[in-house]
Amino acid sequence: MFENTLDNFAHHNELRGTNVHFKVLFALLTMLVSLISTSPVVPIIITFLMSFLIIFKAKIPWKFYLKFLTIPFIFGFLTFVFMALFFGVGTTIYEFNIFNLAVTVDGFNLGLLVFARIMGGFSCMAFLALTTPMTELFSVLETFKIPKIVLEIAMMMYRYIFVFLNEALNMYYAQQTRLGYQSFKTTYKSLGMLASNLFIRSWIKGERVYVSMESRGYNGSLYINNYQNSIGIKNLTILVLFESVLILGVYLSGNFRLF
Amino acid sequence: MGEIMNMIEAKEITYEYPDGTKALHGVNFNVEKGSMVALLGPNGAGKSTLFLHFNGIIQPSSGQIEIAEELLKYGKADLNKARQKVGIVFQNPDDQLFAPTVVEDVAFGPLNMGLSRDEVENRVSKALKKVGMAGFEDKAPHHLSGGQKKRVAIAGILAMDPEIMVLDEPTSGLDPKGASQILKLLYKLNEEGMTIIISTHDVDMVPLYADKIYIISGGEIIKEGNPHDVFGDVETIRKANLRLPRIAHLMEILKKEDKLSFSEEYPLTIGEARKSLLEYIESDSNRG
Repeated sequence: MFENTLDNFAHHNELRGTNVHFKVLFALLTMLVSLISTSPVVPIIITFLMSFLIIFKAKIPWKFYLKFLTIPFIFGFLTFVFMALFFGVGTTIYEFNIFNLAVTVDGFNLGLLVFARIMGGFSCMAFLALTTPMTELFSVLETFKIPKIVLEIAMMMYRYIFVFLNEALNMYYAQQTRLGYQSFKTTYKSLGMLASNLFIRSWIKGERVYVSMESRGYNGSLYINNYQNSIGIKNLTILVLFESVLILGVYLSGNFRLF
Repeated sequence: MGEIMNMIEAKEITYEYPDGTKALHGVNFNVEKGSMVALLGPNGAGKSTLFLHFNGIIQPSSGQIEIAEELLKYGKADLNKARQKVGIVFQNPDDQLFAPTVVEDVAFGPLNMGLSRDEVENRVSKALKKVGMAGFEDKAPHHLSGGQKKRVAIAGILAMDPEIMVLDEPTSGLDPKGASQILKLLYKLNEEGMTIIISTHDVDMVPLYADKIYIISGGEIIKEGNPHDVFGDVETIRKANLRLPRIAHLMEILKKEDKLSFSEEYPLTIGEARKSLLEYIESDSNRG
């Protein structure tokens, strides 16, 4: 049922065995570089590099990845269009003869920069999301001193999202079988029933889980344990070098403008 | 052989819901050390409620529970001890597997017992190996099949090294192979000395394994004894919304409708049926 989901790829990819801290550090630092860049050049390079790593190193099917990328792409592109049209004053590149609309140099450059940053930042996020299971991220968060109670709640939520997804889907099919979503009115009604029933079920389930945890001696705290292989000097060096090159790129391309 | 010890003894357990309806009524239930006991009963008969008394999750309205001939008290430390001795495997593994990975879930019990990391790791890997789930350590529960989830749930209890395992409907919702794997596993554990209690309505499976059967209906134990005694009382079986094992049913029909005369008891398993059929054919051909 969950074969083609983000979560499944996070569990089954070629970079799964790589140290989590390394992956997190790599993704966050690269994202930071992408954000401080004042020209679109480096973020675009980052986008391509990350996509390369995701598709060829982690071996995520490119179709899935592209689909994954469409939403931020559309968002970024719209931002770009609006900024190019409505932002900035001064020299224009192109003038439409309706409504006084014009693309200004200022607006175009700003829009392109924002678009590039969105794509760069998102590809870093995608790298992390597609190569690292949530469970391992929890252990990283623990080393970042996130309060334990927050992590425990997050862990349980993560686990039961899938149980409820399954439950909701079953109910949804059952409703469809009995002609639940035929018209606007029945859709409205069926969805309401689904939601309220899911709420009641989660309540009952919560009680059952608590009983089963109590049976195993639950005393108010969960223990998170995770075993990781070390980052290694080699990887660390590569990471530092890579980020330095990117920052150098940011410095050199700082004044680059298309127009 | 010394004196046989009762691992669990429930004496006159009565349990009322807050609204006054009686879920259990004067239940006596005892399980000898090293035996395998089945609790048969229809839906809503009180099986799960009774099980939750065994490790003190539910406190009876009246009556008492003894674990290994020690009276169960309801203080915090006593309850912790009881829960370590009596491991309950719940019917729906999704209720039990709450941790994001298999290894974390199995480690949950042992870590609560305050064992050292090394000891926990050791127990977790031993338990997973025993249920045949070694190699699945880092999997998320939602990536496992129903039978696999069940086995992980059992491993989570085994890792706590209990003296009694209580399983609520261990084969429900599993395919035939998954079900027979679970039963074989339980049988093996029982041979190694673990006391086991299972609840079920799978009457075909039970007689193969159980030393003793209790039948519960409407919150009362209405019959107890070895499989032959219990299934010999067809009326009680049917009154409890249960049925005979298929084999026994066939033999009953052969005896009643076709006037074939078998030895005194109905055979309950394929092996027993084969034996008595062969005996019958032999005596028949001797006569003819």
